Amino acid sequence: MKKFFNEFLRGIAKENPTFVLVLGLCPTLAVSVSVINGIGMGIAATFVLLGSNIIVAVIKNSIPQRIRIPCYIVVIATFVTVTEMLMKAYSPALDRSLGIYVPLIVVNCMVLGRAEAYASKNTVMNSFFDGLGMGVGFTLALILISGIREALGAGTILGHRLFASFEPAFILGMPSGALLVIGLLLGFFNVLKGRKA
Amino acid sequence: MKEMVRYGFILALICTIASGLLAGMNLLTKARINAQAQDEEEASLKEVLPQGERFEAVRAEEEVLYYKVYDKSGKFVAVAFKASGKGYSSVIESMVGMNKDGVINAIKILSQNETPGLGAKVVEPGFVLGFSNKNLSQLDNIQAITGATISSGAVIDSVKKRAEEIKGII
Amino acid sequence: MKDKLSVGTSPHLHKDESVSRIMWLVVLSLAPAGIAGVLIFGLSALRVIILGVVSAVFSEGIIQLLTKKRITVLDGSAFLTGLLLAYNLPAHVPFWLPIVGSLFAVAIGKQVFGGLGQNIFNPALVGRVFLMASWPKYMTSFTRPMNYDAITCATPLAALKEGRAFENLSSWDLFLGLRGGCIGEVCILALLLGALFLFYKKYISWHIPLTYIATVGLFTYIFGQQGLFSGDWLLHVLTGGLILGAFFMATDYVTSPLTYKGQVIFGIGCGLLTAIIRLWGGYPEGVSYAILMMNAAAPIIDRFTKNRVYGKR
Repeated sequence: MKKFFNEFLRGIAKENPTFVLVLGLCPTLAVSVSVINGIGMGIAATFVLLGSNIIVAVIKNSIPQRIRIPCYIVVIATFVTVTEMLMKAYSPALDRSLGIYVPLIVVNCMVLGRAEAYASKNTVMNSFFDGLGMGVGFTLALILISGIREALGAGTILGHRLFASFEPAFILGMPSGALLVIGLLLGFFNVLKGRKA
Repeated sequence: MKEMVRYGFILALICTIASGLLAGMNLLTKARINAQAQDEEEASLKEVLPQGERFEAVRAEEEVLYYKVYDKSGKFVAVAFKASGKGYSSVIESMVGMNKDGVINAIKILSQNETPGLGAKVVEPGFVLGFSNKNLSQLDNIQAITGATISSGAVIDSVKKRAEEIKGII
Repeated sequence: MKDKLSVGTSPHLHKDESVSRIMWLVVLSLAPAGIAGVLIFGLSALRVIILGVVSAVFSEGIIQLLTKKRITVLDGSAFLTGLLLAYNLPAHVPFWLPIVGSLFAVAIGKQVFGGLGQNIFNPALVGRVFLMASWPKYMTSFTRPMNYDAITCATPLAALKEGRAFENLSSWDLFLGLRGGCIGEVCILALLLGALFLFYKKYISWHIPLTYIATVGLFTYIFGQQGLFSGDWLLHVLTGGLILGAFFMATDYVTSPLTYKGQVIFGIGCGLLTAIIRLWGGYPEGVSYAILMMNAAAPIIDRFTKNRVYGKR
């Protein structure tokens, strides 16, 4: 059990997809305008990661080496489409604010990266916990980034006004603001890591 | 050659399973997705014409041209329609409620992706309320948002153009 | 040790000047423009300048303290950054705007790259662009000149962009700075005085400023609103931040090319970008964006224009 737990934790801290592996930055930049978007994107990506990791781990032995990438992509795309349909049916508002970035999870290198680098070489259980850890790590990173951006860029958190009088900095609501926040956070985590080492 | 056939077969198998799965999923969610879209449309119709009781879509080849709006007593009082125009960084789509005599009742911005803090202000009451109780020739006098002339102009022009077209048909 | 070594292309000349001395003399050369700005826009302009400078110096000190670097707040570079940033702000901005701008300029524009001499972009312009993208409302409401109240008016360039007629200003008014605009950019006379001083001391060469201004003039003349060769080039040269930018910001040693040939390319590039943004871009003014973009290109320009080592093929 402890082993699985370690697999799970790895994705959150030591190999956090956003801040350590620096994977899947495109959706991170695009949707981290508000915390609710961040959570929605995080959950959607986690679902896809879990599904694709499990299926890839199950079928890894029956896929020939040379056509593995198209196979993985078909698996991932299927899960993404399922996610999109579910989101459209049960949470249309979130679907509208995430827009094109839900279908774009297909090309999120984090998902393909885990399928290729982990699930295709490990057992189903391990892959499940790896996917879960990576997904949660991605979600936490998104919440952190979108929290900063929403608080300073709009003066709200989850739509609630934070300060009585505050002039939000619009730049944080724009893509350039996302690059700034991610860059500073990356630097911050690298400094922390440097201190520890 | 034999390899190729085998690869093709495996890929085809995976794709078949995947598409079967998706078809099933589509069957399960389709009704709900359509209902959601309809609810949303209805909600925005209600918002621009609160006095409306029944909304009847007027279609031209499947596409909804405009809605005929009837009040409680079943009288045809107004029309509602969608207008869209190219703003600064996106297409701004709005729902317009117009009384039968050509006076705008209210508009609601359905979708936009303009600059936050500038163009995105088109959704705010300060701008949108400016359309209420204006006839078409008065639309040009609507105060544009400071620093967002393009976004404001896109909404005003698109509403005006579409309103004139619709007024011509009804 | 690394801090004490400097790398440059040959020939090497020894100059009896320290960086710090140059910085303070550049500050001095900017003084007339600041005084003119205060005369034109009133004491609130002075307040913006003081806030900008003080917070830039403090930000630099605090960051150097936190990162345990040598504290060099008195070398004049942070002072200059704060001053240039304040010159690029309208006179009636809220008090926190120059403070946030200076903090951003020094922290993100300069210190994250490793401090003076390491930064890719002109820190003051980084601060200005950040403020522009964050609080456009304040950055684009300019005070009416010689009024000393917060009555706003459009800049000539903004009026030109929106196709509106603006109050008739003679070229002489523009030359003296009697127009809406940022504190330090309006008075061309004062800016030229400062620039002459820098030329006299040979701190800047003619290559960047002249090619920059000439390119903007030529381009805006050719692509006028009423067809080719009809543009009001004098208006484009005398308004906006062109003169301030060309003489005092594009010439920044750290972020511009080293060789004269490179500087000419740099100046023409700045001029083209400025004119293109002004004529067809989304903003009425493009000096800051033009200089920042060319800052990014400066290392490449250096690479293709560096002096060849004698005898090397």
